[in-house]
Amino acid sequence: MFYDEAMMNTYNMVKQRFIKKWINTLHMLDSSIEHPLNVTERKNAIRLSSDLAIAATRSGSTVWSRALISRSGNKTTNKPMARRILKKARNRMKNRCNTLRRNGNFTAKSGTRKRTDLLKSLVPGGEVIDDKDYLIRETLDYIVYLRAQVDVMRTVAAIDLVTGNLTNDRRNK
Amino acid sequence: MLEGLVSQESLSLNSMDMSVLERLKWVQQQQQQLQQVVYQSSNNSHELLQILQFHGSNNDDLLQSSFSPFQMLGSGFGPNYNIGFGPPHEAISRTSSCHMEPVDTIEVLLKTGEENRAIALKNKRNPEVKTRGEEKTEKKIKVEAETESSMKGKSNMRNTEASSDTSKETSKKASEIQKLDYIHVRARRGQATDRHSLAERARREKISKKMKYLQDIVPGCNKVTGKAGMLDEIINYVQCLQRQVEFLSMKLAVLNPELELAVEDVSVKQFQAYFTNVVASKQSIMVDVPLFPLDQQGSLDLSAINPNQTTSIEAPSASWETQSQSLYNTSSLGFQY
Repeated sequence: MFYDEAMMNTYNMVKQRFIKKWINTLHMLDSSIEHPLNVTERKNAIRLSSDLAIAATRSGSTVWSRALISRSGNKTTNKPMARRILKKARNRMKNRCNTLRRNGNFTAKSGTRKRTDLLKSLVPGGEVIDDKDYLIRETLDYIVYLRAQVDVMRTVAAIDLVTGNLTNDRRNK
Repeated sequence: MLEGLVSQESLSLNSMDMSVLERLKWVQQQQQQLQQVVYQSSNNSHELLQILQFHGSNNDDLLQSSFSPFQMLGSGFGPNYNIGFGPPHEAISRTSSCHMEPVDTIEVLLKTGEENRAIALKNKRNPEVKTRGEEKTEKKIKVEAETESSMKGKSNMRNTEASSDTSKETSKKASEIQKLDYIHVRARRGQATDRHSLAERARREKISKKMKYLQDIVPGCNKVTGKAGMLDEIINYVQCLQRQVEFLSMKLAVLNPELELAVEDVSVKQFQAYFTNVVASKQSIMVDVPLFPLDQQGSLDLSAINPNQTTSIEAPSASWETQSQSLYNTSSLGFQY
């Protein structure tokens, strides 16, 4: 039982907004990319559209959503579409580090400092946040929306699997 | 074909004490199943080769990235991800499960107590603006409240103490505001009372307050105390979720030969019904991790944290663990978290 019905309803609303936006961004991406695509390209397109959609769902004053949009905007080769999507975000933000740092070369700092740096590299736009308090708040927000993204994608994948099998069976018969 | 996948899938590992090896085995199992799906769904051997290459290269990445944070942790972390292969009416995702006790009067008391504390804390936002007397008063209240709340024990004990403390707090606050000349700050034992250390203490308490919020969001944070441990859990959770997104997008790419979602056949209202139906069906079995309170627009509502936060304490990880253990043992469920 969800301990707060109202919150669950809000969460469901977030998920619904996300999936609407995701369908739209996927359409936009689909029309601008040449077919045929192999699996990796399809995966990248799906991931890109999903990230853009979740950031657009949280189009507010959060650092991570703006950073995610600008980071994803750089990845698309189609410039007009990127500009169109960036218009959704109120402010642009330069993303200083695009790659995920995976325990690379940390100098000997205290334990908290090391972990804070790692967290900064994980949360989009975290590098530019100096205040640790604000970083944690951003992480919180990011986690909630990331979970919504995962939940929706999981559902869609499950539906896809079932409907895919159904159509296969129909074809085989 | 589908049944085979379902039975394999139902042995999902979602115990919180899951070790690194088990989790990795699970991930590899997922990848194998994904390969099976690919094989069954497409006849194109070229695509199949690409998928295998993808998984081959990703394995090292996954293993490396999985091991590196765990070197810091030294303990297992139970992720929530589980790719669902079950029938559609069970297809809604759920992360960890928590057992909720029924609301009783003690919780109501605690809510009001926490609200008073929240108001006191909120007013402490700009200490420079306030007068010196007010500042010290509220800091004193907060210090007393923190001394009460820092005592470990059962949550019910905390409830009663906090509720009894609230009445003392409000009466003291009223009396203190009347006296403007000399405000005696009762600091904790062995702590300085000058302004700098008070401000420093307030800053530290603010950060620890945020850490407590994170404990509610990130499952498994209740066991670990200390900033480093909790940061580890948070980092691990964020990495897990990001990897899940990557994995799910790959799965969707495999399942959709064209770049569109099958859900477009389903209208949005049906989707909404889908979500709520699974909520109803899973009530008896699984409970979601209490979510961070979102307000109407979906942004974080930090002011509403305190009342909700205390009720979330009612969902201890102990019962979550036992539930997840039982879920792990029973392999009949399709979706487990």
